[in-house]
Amino acid sequence: MRIFALCAAALVLVAPMAGAQDDAAARAKARQDSIAKAVKDSIALMKELGGALAAPADSAAAARPGQNPPSGPQGGPTNPRLLPDISAVGDFVADLSPDGSTQEDGARFSVREVELAVQAVVDPYFRGDVFLGISDLEGISIEQAFLTTTSLPHQLELRLGRYLMPVGKQNTTHRHDLHTIEYPYVIQRFLSPDGLKGTGVQASRVFSPFGFYQELIVNAVDRFREREDSLSPFEPVNKSLGGLGYAARLRNYVDISEAANFELSFSAITGRREQPLTPTYASLLADGVNAAVARQSVLAADLTYRWRPLQEGLYKSFILQSEIMHQLNESDPGIPGVNGCEDCAATSLGYAGPTRDFTGAYVFARWQTSQRTFVGARYDWVQDPLIDGRTLNAGSVYLEWFPSEFSKLVAGYEAVSPSGGETVNRLLLQATFALGPHKPHPF
Amino acid sequence: MIRRISLLLVAAMLALAPHLAQAQLKVVTSTTDLYDIAKSVGGDKVNATHIGEGYQDPHFIEAKPSFVLQLRNADVWAFVGLDLEIGWMPLLLDGARNPKIRLGGSGYVDASKAIRVLDTPQGNVDRSMGDVHPLGNPHYWLDPENGRRIARLFKAKFTELDAKNAAVYDANERAFEAKLNAAEKGWAGDLATIRGKPVVAWHTSWRYFAEYTGMNIIAFMEPKPGVPPSPSHLYTVIQAVKRTGARAIIMEPFYDRKVADLVAKQTGIKVLLLPPSVGGIRGAPVNDYVSLMTYDMAQLAAAVK
Repeated sequence: MRIFALCAAALVLVAPMAGAQDDAAARAKARQDSIAKAVKDSIALMKELGGALAAPADSAAAARPGQNPPSGPQGGPTNPRLLPDISAVGDFVADLSPDGSTQEDGARFSVREVELAVQAVVDPYFRGDVFLGISDLEGISIEQAFLTTTSLPHQLELRLGRYLMPVGKQNTTHRHDLHTIEYPYVIQRFLSPDGLKGTGVQASRVFSPFGFYQELIVNAVDRFREREDSLSPFEPVNKSLGGLGYAARLRNYVDISEAANFELSFSAITGRREQPLTPTYASLLADGVNAAVARQSVLAADLTYRWRPLQEGLYKSFILQSEIMHQLNESDPGIPGVNGCEDCAATSLGYAGPTRDFTGAYVFARWQTSQRTFVGARYDWVQDPLIDGRTLNAGSVYLEWFPSEFSKLVAGYEAVSPSGGETVNRLLLQATFALGPHKPHPF
Repeated sequence: MIRRISLLLVAAMLALAPHLAQAQLKVVTSTTDLYDIAKSVGGDKVNATHIGEGYQDPHFIEAKPSFVLQLRNADVWAFVGLDLEIGWMPLLLDGARNPKIRLGGSGYVDASKAIRVLDTPQGNVDRSMGDVHPLGNPHYWLDPENGRRIARLFKAKFTELDAKNAAVYDANERAFEAKLNAAEKGWAGDLATIRGKPVVAWHTSWRYFAEYTGMNIIAFMEPKPGVPPSPSHLYTVIQAVKRTGARAIIMEPFYDRKVADLVAKQTGIKVLLLPPSVGGIRGAPVNDYVSLMTYDMAQLAAAVK
């Protein structure tokens, strides 16, 4: 603008010198008028462009010295190369239990998992999220990888890929984001020790016919629970579409006051799983078949009460949470017959999978004691399928300390008491940290 | 039969047309300050609501599902930006499933695009610097010039989405600025009192306010943004207060004042709870943006004179 004005001024000064002759003077005057008009137009245009954001002439702030122009409209994009968000979470666990490590691999200190996340908007229609899990026990695995729609009408959302299954409350949270070091026993036993995932498609919709938040989530996934490598069934569990995993969850969230709220939700999942045959019976079968295919379902209800006063929310909060799950097992799944001995296929002779139903639950409470510290306690009660449905009771207490939003240290003590077995005392320490962009806080 | 149904449909559409024409823009804002300015500019042509309350820390709002209900039909989502809402906004926008208010949507309004940003870090940035905002300090609404800029931004956005009411938005925006200008003239005495006075601030949220008023922040209670005061840092704060004769510790009502009281006990400095946002102190006359600025100015002037 300034250069333009200087050029215009120079031209204006030079113009009369060129007007020694009459016709030249006329041309010069015309040029002068033209330039003056251009300058006037430019000034008007600049005023117009600046008008949206610049202060009006009568504004008291207009005269303030040193006021720079706004940065936004002139600034470039903050991510000009369209790079995805890349982040990593480290999850370390130390097991200082007095009677030896209670970890699956017997380690006293272990990197339980490193999670690598790559997340970005794919195009105007989808966003993509990829979470790779790296651990000493399992190597590298695809924890989650899914595509989510972003622009469907009527608050519909579709998700395609592998993701944490929306069954129960805590299963929808990454293990390292839990308030406790491990998932409750009912989730470990009925769903998966490190969170139940599924690969398939999910559809969900938010609605509010009664004035509070409701969300219905339905899923169809390749199978219910991971396959156990040691089991070889006589046919794939998903041979028919009826063998896929199907799940649904209905969330109901209600604000009681500005500080308190609760969520009461219901979930169900069903699918066919490999279940073991008796070794004797399996030895009669050809091709190494040692498993039957049986339907297993889980019905779940969860209740979470939260209290966090808005003004004192940095220092005070309380959560009370409980989940109950009921596992239903097909009692007579049908197993392959043996040549010449059709009666041998009777379940009572050859089937070694669960034939009864199991129930489990937990109650968890967490109290914030300062800006950075929380104490929690959990009580677990499960009819444990791993010990033939005998009852497992566990009580645990936790102390959490957050040096910042991006690191967490947890100390936990747990007494686990399987019925008929000795009480096991566990002392666990956990440290997690997050690298990369600031992630939203889980709710 | 088909003809009758068609006639009924046409009649129904004609009956609904005036209501549709009068439909208000649904505006949701992240803070009460943006809400008040949006309401001032939009008047009765917009239906404005807000997510955060003035008396809570805007960094740590919980992404409650009930907020999703507010956002799912919104025409405009106006937020402070500069990562102030990074801890909760993505969850709500994902949950709302409303393309209009996602990045790139017609109703996605990042108010920071209209202002002059302070404290943009230079060079490398990492979290050893505390809860640093890499895009700059987001507490810009505490400078009334930025209040004006936000109002103009809202006028432009509302006009774009609802052109038929452009004249109303223009008139409302001018009225808002006139009210602010008039109030500003009344602050002259307070500003003269405040200018150059040493104060301690809890968080970097008062940087824009300091830029406007000329108050001199000689120390922050937080050693780094978002990091609670440590004993060794408090010692340096106490020494700074004694050295400079600072008169007040300015802090938001959502921080724990016990530590500030400790410094006050050691030095005689006043602890001044100042609302950083509209509605920031229950019962105080800070129910709109202009009142908020007037109140903060008066309280600070009284504390440091």
